Order: sequence, then C-alpha cells, then structure tokens
Amino acid sequence: MATLASPAEASTQGQACGNLPDFGCETYKDAYSRINAIVIEGEQEAHDNYISIGKLIPDQAEELSRLARMELKHMKGFTACANNLGVSADMDFAKRFFSPLHGNFQKALAEGKVVTCLLIQAILIEAFAISAYHIYIPVADPFARKITEGVVKDEYTHLNYGQEWLKANLGTIREEFEQANRENLPLVRRMLDQVAGDAAKLAMDKEDLMADFLSSYQESLIEIGFSSREIARMAAAALVG
Amino acid sequence: MFGLIGHSTSLDQARSKALALGFPEYAEGDFEMWCSAPPQLVERIQVTSPTGKTIEGAYIDSVFVPEMLRRFKTAKRKVLSAMELAQKQGITITALGGFTSIIFEDFKLLKEQQVRATTLDWQRFTTGNTHTAWVICRQVEVNAPALGIDLQRAKVAVVGATGDIGSAVCRWLHQRTGVEELLLVARQPQPLIDLQAELGTGRILSLEEALPEADVVVWVASLPETLSIDTKNLRSPCLMIDGGYPKNLDSKASGETVHVLKGGIVEFHQDIGWQMMEVAEMEKPQRQMFACFAEAMLLDFEEIHTNFSWGRNNITIENMDLIGEASLRHGFQALGLQPISLQALGLQPISLQQVGLQASLAANQPALPS
Repeated sequence: MATLASPAEASTQGQACGNLPDFGCETYKDAYSRINAIVIEGEQEAHDNYISIGKLIPDQAEELSRLARMELKHMKGFTACANNLGVSADMDFAKRFFSPLHGNFQKALAEGKVVTCLLIQAILIEAFAISAYHIYIPVADPFARKITEGVVKDEYTHLNYGQEWLKANLGTIREEFEQANRENLPLVRRMLDQVAGDAAKLAMDKEDLMADFLSSYQESLIEIGFSSREIARMAAAALVG
Repeated sequence: MFGLIGHSTSLDQARSKALALGFPEYAEGDFEMWCSAPPQLVERIQVTSPTGKTIEGAYIDSVFVPEMLRRFKTAKRKVLSAMELAQKQGITITALGGFTSIIFEDFKLLKEQQVRATTLDWQRFTTGNTHTAWVICRQVEVNAPALGIDLQRAKVAVVGATGDIGSAVCRWLHQRTGVEELLLVARQPQPLIDLQAELGTGRILSLEEALPEADVVVWVASLPETLSIDTKNLRSPCLMIDGGYPKNLDSKASGETVHVLKGGIVEFHQDIGWQMMEVAEMEKPQRQMFACFAEAMLLDFEEIHTNFSWGRNNITIENMDLIGEASLRHGFQALGLQPISLQALGLQPISLQQVGLQASLAANQPALPS
C-alpha cells in the first residue's frame, strides 16, 4: 500500500501523553481531588449495589457479597492514593456526579428489576471503570499506578459476573436490557462530559475514554450474546443520546 | 476463520452506508461521534473455492474514515481496536485493508502490541501485500501485451518503488517478467539507491522524467492532490496500473491511448453474499475485492495461519509464487482492462482464465508473456 503523505505532521496530536504530568502541581491536585473522589464514590456505590442485587437474587447473595468486599478494598486503595499526593477528595462533588445513575439504580431496585440493576452496576459502571483505569495507568503516579493495576484485574471479575448472569438469562432479558441501555448509557456520556476538563489535566483524553469505554461495553454485549446489529444500535445510544 | 478489516472512503459515504444498512443512529452522528465509535463486526461471510472447500469469515469495519488521518491518536486507536476485535472473535488470519495497513506501518503500531487487556498476536494478521504485489504484476503481464506493448522491450515505471508493494513489484518484473528497463520513482533518494543496488538494475528518475519514457506505469504511492498529468506527454499506448489507495488515478490521467486499470483488485469465481464491497465502490461488488482481503481468504483456504505479509520489504518472489498459485487455484482473477477499451484499439481481450492456466503451469519458471 501507499504511504501517508505526511505522517510527521499528522502525529503531533496527543503526543503530550508520552510525558507524565507534574503530580505535585496545584492544577493537577485540584483536578485529582474530583477524579479521585469519583473513583472512591464509585467503589462505595459498587459495594452497596452488589449487596442490594444480592437481595434480588438471594441464591447469589454470597457471591455478590464477596464482590462487594473487593470494592471496599479498592476504595481504601484509592483513598491511600489521595493521601499519598496530599489531596482531599471532593466527596460532595462525587455524590452529585453519581446521583442520576444512583437514582436510576435505586428505582430499578425498588421495582425488583434485576436486569436493569446488573446493567447499571456490573456492565456499565464496570466497563467504564476498566477503560478509565486502563487509560489512567500509563499516566498515573507510581503509587497510584500500582494500586490501579491491582484493581483493574478485580474489575474484570465483576464485569464477568454480570455478563455470565445476563448470558444465562438472555432469552428473557432483551426488552428490559434495551430499555435500561436507552435510559442509562446517555448518562455515562454526560458524566464523562462533566469531568472531561479534569481528566485532561490528568493527561486522560476524553475521546480515548469514550472510545475505550464503548469498546469494553460492546465487548460485554458480544459476550452476553447480542447480535452485531443489536450491539451497534445499543452502543449508539451513548454517542447520540 | 478469516477476517477483513476495512473502512469507508469518506465520512459522507460512511453515513449513507450506515443508513442503508439500517443504522440510522450512526448516519446522524457527527465527526466527533464517529471518532469515538468502536469497530463493528458488520458481516459474516462464507466463501467456497472451486476446489469445493468452504471457509467462513467476518468483515470488521474499523469505523475509521480518511478524514481522521490527521488525528494521530484516533487513527491509531481505530486500527488497534479493530485488530483487538478480530482477535477476540477468534479469527485466525485477518487482512488489514485500505488505510489500515498504511496507518499500522507509518504510525509504527508494532510498538503498540498491548490493547487494554489484550496482547495482539501479530501471527493473526497480514497486510495482504504479497498477493497485492502478485496481482499487480499479473495485471501488467496480461494487459500490456493486450494493448500491443511488448514487455521485453518496454520501460516500466514504478512510482513508489521503495515501498513494500513497490519493491516486490520491481523484483518480480525484473526477475520473472523480464521487462527491458525499470524506472524507479520514489520520494526519498537513499532507499531508491538501496533498491537499485539490490535489484542490480533500474534507473532512478523523478516522476516528471519517468512518465514520458514509460510504456507501463505502476502506481503504488498515494497521489499528491496537486498532481496533474499531461497525457500528451505520455507514450502511446500507455498502461497505468493504479495500485495506490485510494484509487483516483483515472481522474488525473485518461485518454484514448492512456489505459488506467484499477490495480490490486481481484474477481472471485462466484458471487459472495456480502454488502461491504459496495462501500469500496467496486464495479461488481458481489465478486470484486482488494487483493489484500483475498490474501486472508487464500491463507485460510491453504491453512497457512501466519502473518504471511508483515513488516516492510520482506516480500519474496517465492512467497509471491505461493500466493499466486493459491489465488488461481481458489478462483481469483486479477482485474483486466474492459473489453470496450481494447476493442477501441481493434484488439481482442485476452482470456484471463487462459492466462491463469498458463501462469499456473509455468508458476515456477519465468513467466514471460508470449
């Protein structure tokens, strides 16, 4: 095949990521106070959500409680990351940040909608966490990098749990899953938009975050057993919703 | 299982294709949305060789469009994500089509083997360049004589001679076809000098110097937008094989005695029930495809599950023989000049099947056109 006319010119965008940010500067620490808070809050919510899902599927309660305990361990790890940088996490911001998704989860829980609860926690949030952690690891400070590398391995276990349950019940979940996808996937994009500026200060690119999240999400949908067409349609809800 | 990674030729075309295929959400999406969109496994395909063997494969759209070339990270991510998807689908050999292999090479993605939790296994991918080079050489060998050009007395210019495909074409045309003289054209001088030394032949010229001398021009470089070709200065007749990507040479040079042929395109012996080649604007989208895609099919038919075409300037004459024989055996033909173009000159179209048979018989000997 031919070669590109000017690869050198084309390769200027995004090269800054090759250099690590200055972890000690105030701009970094200010952005970190919100991003770190989101992560801590996310892990706390995940813990609570898995315990709640266990009430909807009692035969799974023990396994779900095991997953929930892992999330608490992650939360402690990320709290240590903030202490290490001398940052206090802005938990009020994080609570506001999660409130729409939190509200949707609580509503589904009250209505006994297992599929919606699993989609929100075990697929959407886990897929987002996995892709965000993957993007964060290469630009993280050495302490946080080590912690995050450990966490990301666990998160795959959680994603896998949700996938397996939904896969086993694919025959009956389609309608509720598509509806839950429509209602919750656009929230993820809005949440990302809210923190894109802070993420950029941590050298995490918004487009990378969105694209990697969608790749992980799509991969889950493939695993669950949805068709290519269903997947493309569902993923699009994040992009145009 | 074989895989093909392709993409649309522009954002507008991608949007209208999305609408036609029943993905209205994508059709309405803006450029930013397309940049974030993950690759899609669009179609599963089954193909049967004249030998009776049937193989299965998948077409993956990388959701890349050429407008993204200037966004390094986006282009890079599109290619790597599509490769990750292919590997996760358990596809054993996948061809990198269109700009995909160009991005892979020029943006040095060999260093980016880790994509999230997936370590890409390079053995599962091929650029398809060996088959493309072989097809382009066959197109020269079949179509030049049909226009009355005697290749043993002909000067053949290779534009982009130092590239992966270009250098392979030069080797073959020198060693196998035995053209009178190769005119070597490329942007950078040192690789040209190295190539000339390796071939032991060939004259290094600028494009402006080479064109008026060439009976055949093989283009395997992308055309500069500013390029204009004055057809009055070309030899008559002149055969031009447009082996670059995208294929837009016919808009730059065409005339009564200038014959432009889309290079590196093959036609399968029967229709394939797929939709995706319409995107590539093939004349017969049910049968025609890029030779690089066909290479993935050939490797699967032959059960050669390795990165057959990989890296730069590694294509050997022996591997071109091997893939060429497989190409003929499994029912592919190199695209030829339209009969109408030949009839205008009072010439008879050559039966490609006949030539294919000769080539098959003489595959291990110099295939000099008679």
